[in-house]
Amino acid sequence: MKKILDIGKRIELVPLDLYFENISIALYSQKDEQGSFYLVHTYSQIPGVGKRINTVINAMKNLGGMEQDNMGRLRFPCKNAHNLAVKRVFLEACKVDPTEKVTKRPLTTLDKKSGLQINLLRSGNGEYQVTAIGESREKERRISFIAGGLMKLGELDEVIGSLDRIFFPCSSNHDEMIGLLLLRAPNVRAILRDQATVAGRGVLAAPSQQDL
Amino acid sequence: MKTERSMTSRERVLAALERAPVDRTPVCNPTSIATVELMDLVNAPFPNANRDPELMARLAATGYTELGFDSIMPVFSIIQESSALGCKIQWEQKDNWPTVKMSEPIWTEADDITIPSNFLTHSDTKCVLEAIRLLKKEYGDEVAIIGKTMGPWSLGYHCFGVEPFLLMSLDDPGKTHLALDRMKEATIEFGIAQIEAGADALTLPDHATGDLVSGEYYKRFLRDLHIELTERLPIPLIMHICGRTVDRMGFIAETGCAAFHYDSKNKPLESMEAVEGKISLVGNINNPETLFARGPEEITKEVFGNLEHGIHMVGPECAIPLQTSIENLKAIPAAVKDWHRSGSI
Amino acid sequence: MPELNDITNSFIKDEIDEFIERNDERFHLIEAFSQADPRLQDISAALIDGDNTTVDKLTKEALDVGFEALEIMDNGLIIAMSIVGIKFRENFIFVPEVLACARAMKAGMSHIEPILSASGIKPVGTVIMGTVKGDLHDIGKNLCIMMLRGAGFEVHDLGVDTSEDEFMDAVEEHGAPLLGMSALLTTTMPNMGKTIDTFIDNDMREDVKIMVGGASVTQEFSDDMGADGTAADAVGCVGLAKTLLEELKREQGE
Repeated sequence: MKKILDIGKRIELVPLDLYFENISIALYSQKDEQGSFYLVHTYSQIPGVGKRINTVINAMKNLGGMEQDNMGRLRFPCKNAHNLAVKRVFLEACKVDPTEKVTKRPLTTLDKKSGLQINLLRSGNGEYQVTAIGESREKERRISFIAGGLMKLGELDEVIGSLDRIFFPCSSNHDEMIGLLLLRAPNVRAILRDQATVAGRGVLAAPSQQDL
Repeated sequence: MKTERSMTSRERVLAALERAPVDRTPVCNPTSIATVELMDLVNAPFPNANRDPELMARLAATGYTELGFDSIMPVFSIIQESSALGCKIQWEQKDNWPTVKMSEPIWTEADDITIPSNFLTHSDTKCVLEAIRLLKKEYGDEVAIIGKTMGPWSLGYHCFGVEPFLLMSLDDPGKTHLALDRMKEATIEFGIAQIEAGADALTLPDHATGDLVSGEYYKRFLRDLHIELTERLPIPLIMHICGRTVDRMGFIAETGCAAFHYDSKNKPLESMEAVEGKISLVGNINNPETLFARGPEEITKEVFGNLEHGIHMVGPECAIPLQTSIENLKAIPAAVKDWHRSGSI
Repeated sequence: MPELNDITNSFIKDEIDEFIERNDERFHLIEAFSQADPRLQDISAALIDGDNTTVDKLTKEALDVGFEALEIMDNGLIIAMSIVGIKFRENFIFVPEVLACARAMKAGMSHIEPILSASGIKPVGTVIMGTVKGDLHDIGKNLCIMMLRGAGFEVHDLGVDTSEDEFMDAVEEHGAPLLGMSALLTTTMPNMGKTIDTFIDNDMREDVKIMVGGASVTQEFSDDMGADGTAADAVGCVGLAKTLLEELKREQGE
């Protein structure tokens, strides 16, 4: 019987793969002398499972801008851990139809709430600026909101004093990864709630506004 | 209480059920250990592992062989008896448990209750019996084999529907008592069959949980019935009720059950105080927030919290989420061993 | 300022005195019941007692003697359910009693609803509720539905094992501003996130506020899934629904 392996900390799991025999596929993270790396692994031994794992790995390379070494380990070029973002890269890689070509996501998306076209401008050294094309009363607020969403999804930091500039703490560019995250950034609910909480602090609510 | 004699897993569990000395606290889940990764490891996926005895035994054994638990409990779901009684089951896929379609109840009156003659030869009950036999044959006296028989309150939910059953308990307590009395025969019949198949103990889930009913309800409807079950099932019984149950633990401790498998909504200290040493306690590592969502450090903290208060067996609070990581499950026996090694006992 | 003794129905007076501990809730209930007609107080008392037969009879009688349907609903039924909700929250009563009170509410509403529908009076809000795909447990969802209806919401119950498409279709069909998803099993909780993603992918996310709930659902889980909020219990669900509805109205009014 195959034994359980000690292959690091499991950081994400697809319990039921859409494309191969309902296997579970997991993403593990580890560190070595070079830095952080990730393993895509399944405990299934059904014939053909290796091919499926390789497909997921290749998709992660394209979608997340990751590199693979000769031991099958995946890293970001910066060699740092980006554990939150890599989970999203992994999940998206597992969703991709293996018969289709995998292309990286662009650094632009339509913000349906405001109708603005959101673009990310790379400033270098891992810094990106969130900009918007179009007219909306909400423009500045949406830019700030999406920047906040990217920060939450990708563990980026804000440039101090700026509402639209964010950067990866590793100071490396990650176009593929941030393009992937941009798709979900306009809908990160926690950001909205935090903004509402900050806005609501110190506001006295009338008794009629208080619910039973 | 500690003994210096080195024990097998089975000896450890049976001793803990009697609150007798152990070499270390056993690690046990009276409900299930099954995850999608373990299913892949031994090629025994749900739903088939709930219906095929070989797959059932193979998957259940991983809790002992791979993770280091002191027991094997092969009954992953709670549907076997209800299925054999005639309830419709939704079998689901590998990443979910089968469940009873309680929106399509099979009974509305106490007089509707019948236990069919093929109750023990129905494929779903038979599967459990055969799995227990296979495990007993494979592992003999090494490890405790724990079966499961659903209590009559839980059967009431499944067979009458949750809301109709609860309304009946309020509208017509007499009818409810009668219904429970009839349904308990299924509990006993299945329990005895598992004892004959080789089970060392039985889990008795009977979900009169504090999230649904009061402690007084437990006393009124179930305590005496559970006393009868302990008298008629000649094996250690581990009662399992989810949710907040401190208010009824005193009653549960009076039933004669060997142990109570308790939920993380109850703290170890208050639970130990409630049972006053009359019953062993098993638990209570939180499933959704700790075991599933956190890591070994948080798990260790909860394990230690249980051990420090003298909980007799440590394990997850209920059937574990199917996506729980293997690393987290292994952290439970590792933490128990660490605690004992540190000389804390 | 109204006082407890201004309430004519002694059962209700005793209920408030014994079970309502928070000052703001006591104040609100004393104020409401002290102004309510004795006939409506009798309806409330019967509902709190779980007596569906009496609620049915008294509601019909109240309508027959000329009380407005809306007044009966607000000042006889809904206000009574708020006491039930508080007692449940504080563990004075449990699910069987709540089920009986909800049955009584339903008995009263069976006379009220046709009148309100015919007159075009709108509910507080419309909510779609369902247990997610793969999950057949519904007691928690049903309790929330009872409380929501008890608070004046129109609720469309999709039942159990509800797919993403079924949720979306229902939100579209009813123009519902609120969606509530329930899951008991940790195995099915991720389906909440999948449903929310489906709303995003179909450009519907901004039109609806999504609540999630279940024994294992935490605020952190709710945030990770992209939901708008979660509540610990059925009473909290009502408060959350009202808050989210106001939030959506503000956003749409911007």
